[in-house]
Amino acid sequence: MAKHILIDPVTRIEGHAKISIYLDDAGLVSDAVFHVVEFRGFEKFCEGRPFTEMTSITPRICGICPISHLLASAKACDAIMAVAIPPAAEKLRRLMNLGQIIQSHALSFFHLSAPDFLLGWETKPETRNVFGVIAANPDLARAGIRLRQFGQELIEILGGKKIHPAWAVPGGVRSPLSEAGRTRIRNWLPEAYGTAKIALDLFRKLLETHKSEVQIFGNFPSLFMGLVGPDGSWEHHGGKLRFVDSSRSVIADQLEPQDYKEFIEETVQPDSYLKSPFYKPLGCPDGMYRVGPLARLNVCDRIGTPQADAELKQFRSLGHGAVTSSFLYHFARLIEIVACLESIERALDDPDLLSEDLRADAGINKLEGVGVSEAPRGTLFHHYTVDRDGLIKQVNLIIATGQNNLAMNRTVAQIARHYIRGEDIPEPMLNRVEAGIRCFDPCLSCSTHAIGQMPLRIQLIAPDGTVLSEATRSAARL
Amino acid sequence: MTIEPANVAPAGLLVIGYGNELRCDDGVGPKVAAAVAEWNSAGVRALACHQLTPELAEPIASANQVIFVDAAADSSGTVQLRQIEPIDGAEVMTHSADPRCLLGLAKHAFGHSPVAWSLTIPTENLGFGEELSPLARQGWQIALDKIRTLAASP
Repeated sequence: MAKHILIDPVTRIEGHAKISIYLDDAGLVSDAVFHVVEFRGFEKFCEGRPFTEMTSITPRICGICPISHLLASAKACDAIMAVAIPPAAEKLRRLMNLGQIIQSHALSFFHLSAPDFLLGWETKPETRNVFGVIAANPDLARAGIRLRQFGQELIEILGGKKIHPAWAVPGGVRSPLSEAGRTRIRNWLPEAYGTAKIALDLFRKLLETHKSEVQIFGNFPSLFMGLVGPDGSWEHHGGKLRFVDSSRSVIADQLEPQDYKEFIEETVQPDSYLKSPFYKPLGCPDGMYRVGPLARLNVCDRIGTPQADAELKQFRSLGHGAVTSSFLYHFARLIEIVACLESIERALDDPDLLSEDLRADAGINKLEGVGVSEAPRGTLFHHYTVDRDGLIKQVNLIIATGQNNLAMNRTVAQIARHYIRGEDIPEPMLNRVEAGIRCFDPCLSCSTHAIGQMPLRIQLIAPDGTVLSEATRSAARL
Repeated sequence: MTIEPANVAPAGLLVIGYGNELRCDDGVGPKVAAAVAEWNSAGVRALACHQLTPELAEPIASANQVIFVDAAADSSGTVQLRQIEPIDGAEVMTHSADPRCLLGLAKHAFGHSPVAWSLTIPTENLGFGEELSPLARQGWQIALDKIRTLAASP
């Protein structure tokens, strides 16, 4: 009789989700689905609010990536005012986004995924967490905490606080970088570079010992999407959109973000609050695309900074055309940390960062605005429609984790098919299925715009829908 | 690997007030921390946070004593001061953490877990807004008195 495996909750992710694995009559995996079971409804309750409040409201979607929402929201509001923000404000927003990417990537690698890499899949679940990492490699654990702290501190230096700073506003930003802040960031950079190097060296060794994971963890052809600069270089805040296929051939380039509805369509599934966007010209599921660090490194022609470009060269050698293994999201994340550090170092010398000319002022000049920025997990869209009084009529948020939803389902199915045979599932096998999801570093608070505190579970289901077994863990572990 | 010192001078007493200042009484913790910061007392440091995050482990490890100040929705209606101990390997969320777990992180990652207290303040209004209810305002004052006492103790 066919069966259904449920992993609920999925651990070491941000938010609450579960995985259903369907077995056929022969006990082989026939399908797997990643469900997100949270809902909060930001798109709905923002209706009627003044658009100028959106930069304060939408960062509350998430405690990990509030800056991403802050910046995308500010850009959408700039569009409604139809203003070009002052150059200093643009540079400062970019600087904050770099800090945001670093802190989030550090959390993902050192806190959430390092326990699997350093301690192994077979380690007991109760010790497979950040405390286990501290015991195994205290210097690395400390350095990881400090690297995230660096990103958080950069955000605080600019915005006044680490989480939910009311700093980016429609038309610009509220305050410049201080000279003391600039010095503090500059002085911290050598340590941050050192930590990134240690992590990259560690990951290179892991590539030797995790060859099967590279092959099995979400390794399949798909499209990739991300922002690129006018010259095709890596971009994180400005630029336009590019799609490449799994051979890394560009299939659409320099797409205007505000025209996203022409090339992205969203579909919903009955068993998840996560929407599933796809590339419209190819339909669903052929238009499945991935976003985030792996995609950004696949879509760009170059990063544009020396150390990161050297790492990119090695990264590219791991694929034929595009790098298609989702396990290599981790590698891409570490390379992006280096890219961010180099970009910060380069930006710090710019005198504009200390400028007081920071905000353009205007009324409502357009009734619609789209803001797009690269969040740590991928491209983030904020789309607002307003009335003549500037009150929000409609909100559409397209979040990175949602855009990866189709690929996450496929990843779970691929891993489950490889590791699961029959009803008896050892815990390390379940952990591998979860780890496939963790490659994408999903943020479920963001993707459902929902509150997220709870982790995930796996369920085994018969063809008649009967739940035959469940694996449930009580809480997320760092 | 060189680990640079924390970004501020170590505190004898560290007060961490956390909560959402846009949800009325939930913001009482950060408001307590802000008031303590205004004392400008030598050896006393205050941090106002939206939520507890892992990087707080480092300043915690460099303090002799730490007080976590939080709003309590289900308390007995009184300000509660309880000593807490570090726990290992338990629940730490991705973007927020339990005070005991932060103490564990401080102990294992940075080598020291100070004497630690949980100071909770009763609430009656967690709706949208920045004002404190009379109950939370009274708790705010009591909490400050308790912190002053702890700061003065040897």
